[in-house]
Amino acid sequence: MRVLVVDDEIDLADAVARGLRNGGYAVDVSYGGEDALEKAWIVPYDLIVLDLTMPDVDGLEVCARLRENPNVEEPPRVLMLTARDSLDDRVAGLDAGADDYLVKPFAFVELEARVRSLLRRDAGSTGATLTVGDIDLDTSRLVVKRAGATVELTTKELNLLRYFMTKPGVVVSQEELLDHVWDENADPFTNTVRVTVGTLRRKLTSEDGHSPIETVIGSGYRLIES
Amino acid sequence: MGSIRVRLTVLYSTVLFGLASAVVGGIYLGLSRSLEDQPVTQTWTLGQLSRTATGQIQFTRTEMLATLSDFELAVNQRALDQLERYSLFALLTLFVVSLIVGWFVAGRVLRPIDRITNVAREIQATDLSRRIRLQGPDDELRDLADTFDDMLDRLDVAFESQRRFIHEASHELRNPLAIMRANLDVALADDQADVTDLRETAEIVNRSALRMTRLVDDLLTWARQENLSLRTDPVNVGVAVRGVAREFETPAAAQGVTVRCGVENDLWAIGDGPALGRAVANLLANALRVSIAGTVIHVRAGRQGNLIFIEVEDQGPGIALEHQEKIFQRFWRGNKSQSREESRSGLGLTIVRQIAEAHGGTVVLDSKLNHGATFRIRIPAVAADAPTVPLVLDLEK
Repeated sequence: MRVLVVDDEIDLADAVARGLRNGGYAVDVSYGGEDALEKAWIVPYDLIVLDLTMPDVDGLEVCARLRENPNVEEPPRVLMLTARDSLDDRVAGLDAGADDYLVKPFAFVELEARVRSLLRRDAGSTGATLTVGDIDLDTSRLVVKRAGATVELTTKELNLLRYFMTKPGVVVSQEELLDHVWDENADPFTNTVRVTVGTLRRKLTSEDGHSPIETVIGSGYRLIES
Repeated sequence: MGSIRVRLTVLYSTVLFGLASAVVGGIYLGLSRSLEDQPVTQTWTLGQLSRTATGQIQFTRTEMLATLSDFELAVNQRALDQLERYSLFALLTLFVVSLIVGWFVAGRVLRPIDRITNVAREIQATDLSRRIRLQGPDDELRDLADTFDDMLDRLDVAFESQRRFIHEASHELRNPLAIMRANLDVALADDQADVTDLRETAEIVNRSALRMTRLVDDLLTWARQENLSLRTDPVNVGVAVRGVAREFETPAAAQGVTVRCGVENDLWAIGDGPALGRAVANLLANALRVSIAGTVIHVRAGRQGNLIFIEVEDQGPGIALEHQEKIFQRFWRGNKSQSREESRSGLGLTIVRQIAEAHGGTVVLDSKLNHGATFRIRIPAVAADAPTVPLVLDLEK
């Protein structure tokens, strides 16, 4: 899952980005509204953590302009961060298209929980655990089980699996994976996607040699539904 | 409320009763005197006129009728008694009626006061939106109600500005708090964080704490200025400005910036010397922050007619036209990320303006982008030989 963190308070944006990266998300950072819009114009983010008050373009406007982006199929989820807590501010934020609202200062675990909850809505799941076939992914504790046995994964592999699990049975291209699982620092010309998918598939392969991820030649990969 | 109505009623009745008693008493007295003054009593002699044998007419008194005075007196007395009885009855009735009428009239007169009281009672400190808006003739009570409404308007404005200030201040305090909390949370949750990571977190938290400290300090200064009246002593502005400028020479020199001071003597104003000094210091600190090595900061003070001006001119980057009004607003900072590094609170120029206005003066900015900036404070002067004229500072503004 790819997240953009936008805040003009550099120390805050960096901290949130670091925390989310530790949680297995691919995270980009913007220190202003204008820059955030430029990034979101090109990259189909799954979620934007957006500060409300910024000197150049404020969060409400960013939110509104995100809806007009023709380059992405659906606008990203928006979690609005703000130091303003009056009812009017909340209403204005939600009206502008924010999906959720978090008042500063916040506990990081709460931000994580809200991020998870917003991303879950995409996956069509209600609990913290995603389940496809015999694979269970606990998005809160970051634990993966295959047929009841725990599988050790790196955060990158976790993020990759999480993305696959939100689109079970759908063919996912390398470019899409690069967009949603890797951040802006990834080099699109390396074979990092292929390699990571390879290791993930190996780790998930059962003893009888059955792998839940199959390669669709010429198009990408698919997580088998059952 | 009841007592003033009762008092008005009693007063009204008593006065009316007194007047009526006097009138009735006067009538009674006058009448009784006039009745006694004119005794109608006459003696009637009853007789017989007859012609005697000699042809003379002869009056033979046959009877002397008694005087009527006793009878008359009795009748007069009865009339007076009757009058007295009627008068007393009328007075008594008048008294009762006047009490009733007085009660209603007083109630009617006092009704606007009732309304004022009720509105005043309903007003909570948090909601000053209620107004009396008394209708009716333009009289004293209407005047009172309008004055009350005006006072509420002013209070409302003051409360609103206070509320906004608290809102803004809490907003400003939340940002560094959020930074601290997020950084600490993330560092604590990360069991792979090494010493470098933790050190970096500590530095960020330290920086935020510093920023909060600065902010709280400036908030307190601001709040004190807002609530306490400034001193109203004769101040030699020239001396004050020169003193502050001298303090800045060393830090400026360390930055390669020259502070040049052109200050007239005998610039007397009534006000608060330390506060004026602080205003100049804030301006100088701003100027120094935007100045690069090799440039000059000019500090000037002089007299223009009835005004004393204090100028701080820098050769820094200047301020864009669209920001020129905003810079005096609370918590406005040009470049937020840069100002955060410097732990600025965004209250410096607000304090300058507050101090200038407290002295009955103004502060204006004259700047063009890339051509430096000049801040000019103007306050009223007093003549050098009369530095003791008292001046009331209007801190309401």
